[in-house]
Amino acid sequence: MQLYSFNAGYVESLCAGDPSAQEHFACYFTELLQLKLRSRLQSPQAIEDVRQETLARVLTVLRKDGGLHQPERLGAFVNQVCNHVLSEHYRAAGGCEFLDAKQCPEPVSMDADALETAAAGQIKDKVREILLGLSPQDRLLLKAVFLDERDRDEVCREFGVDRDYLRVLLHRAKQEFKAEYLKKIGNMMLLGINSRED
Amino acid sequence: MDHSEAEQQMAAERYLLNELKPEEREAFEEHLFDCPECALDLSAGAAFVEAAKAQLPELAGALPAAAPSGSHKPVAQRNWWLSWLQPAFAVPAFATLLMILGYQNLVTYPALRTAADQPRLLPWAPLHGATRGGAEQTITADRQHGVAFPVDLPMPSAPGAYPSYSFDLYDTQGKLAWTGVVAATGESDGGGQRLTLVIPGAMLRNGAYTIAVSGIGARGERTAIDRYVFNLHLSN
Repeated sequence: MQLYSFNAGYVESLCAGDPSAQEHFACYFTELLQLKLRSRLQSPQAIEDVRQETLARVLTVLRKDGGLHQPERLGAFVNQVCNHVLSEHYRAAGGCEFLDAKQCPEPVSMDADALETAAAGQIKDKVREILLGLSPQDRLLLKAVFLDERDRDEVCREFGVDRDYLRVLLHRAKQEFKAEYLKKIGNMMLLGINSRED
Repeated sequence: MDHSEAEQQMAAERYLLNELKPEEREAFEEHLFDCPECALDLSAGAAFVEAAKAQLPELAGALPAAAPSGSHKPVAQRNWWLSWLQPAFAVPAFATLLMILGYQNLVTYPALRTAADQPRLLPWAPLHGATRGGAEQTITADRQHGVAFPVDLPMPSAPGAYPSYSFDLYDTQGKLAWTGVVAATGESDGGGQRLTLVIPGAMLRNGAYTIAVSGIGARGERTAIDRYVFNLHLSN
């Protein structure tokens, strides 16, 4: 198992074109970029364009400048570059793709890679087990929010719960699911601290 | 936003529910990209939501329909109250209520009416006060009749007499069970005033009782006169 940490060594590997480092970099930040961009862009093509542009620019800057002043802040740098690329995209598209909570409250959707992961049998079984452990009301509540995509306040009123209840419900389900999810994704999302093993 | 703030605010859940304000979302994302723990948390949450969406139609389809919209009563609370009307609870509960009502109407109330409407004979037990050096008495009574004590009050004009008297009954625990005040009236035949202190059977327990008698002066001041201590023995 290879562990990576965002440190000078990792950034050097990226700059040097190390295949495993690049693979980890792309996989790790693709996940996060797609989660971020889904809440801002409607078009899957636009999401993919911004994602690719972001990763490409980050690698270009790293290689051109020979690294970062603060290599441990690589993640924040990727986020910052994504914001710039997003702004350019809005300008190019006339600003019509911007979504925020007020304009169009859409739940965050998953990217294709994570969907493939989620589809794996063990993951599916675990999710089913978690859902069956919930009360019928809670299952209906989750369905109303995430599948039917109904207004949160309306759903909470109908079910006689508040927003906190909904958050805690999701939190507990997620916590129960996380262990199984961790087994499935392996180390692709994990970073050790101050270590790199071959 | 730092990691502890993200945890405390349940930022990952709020992100998935699209509840973060734009500035909060940006702050969380800035932290997220640098924090593997939060990144994993969000990723796991998103994966759960996606997988759950695939299964909820099957799992939620067989369930009772949700409460109609417009109903403002919390469904959980309504169901909680309704659950007490289920036969498993309702039948024994109603049966118990019927039994209680039946006992009250067939036994208790008739007995009370009889006690109130009918003449009855009560055992009479003269007491000797402690001030007179009398030994502790044992009195036998029963719950059905109770016990009656004769009380002779002196004439108001007699030396040492008081305008009124108080009688304090202390039970077997030493607690004040009853107190009564009676005004001294004019002379009755044979001098003085004769009363009867009746203690109902329901109050009686086996053990030592005390009746403390005090005189109440014109200005309300109390003066202890005597104490009567007796052991009560219940015959039933």
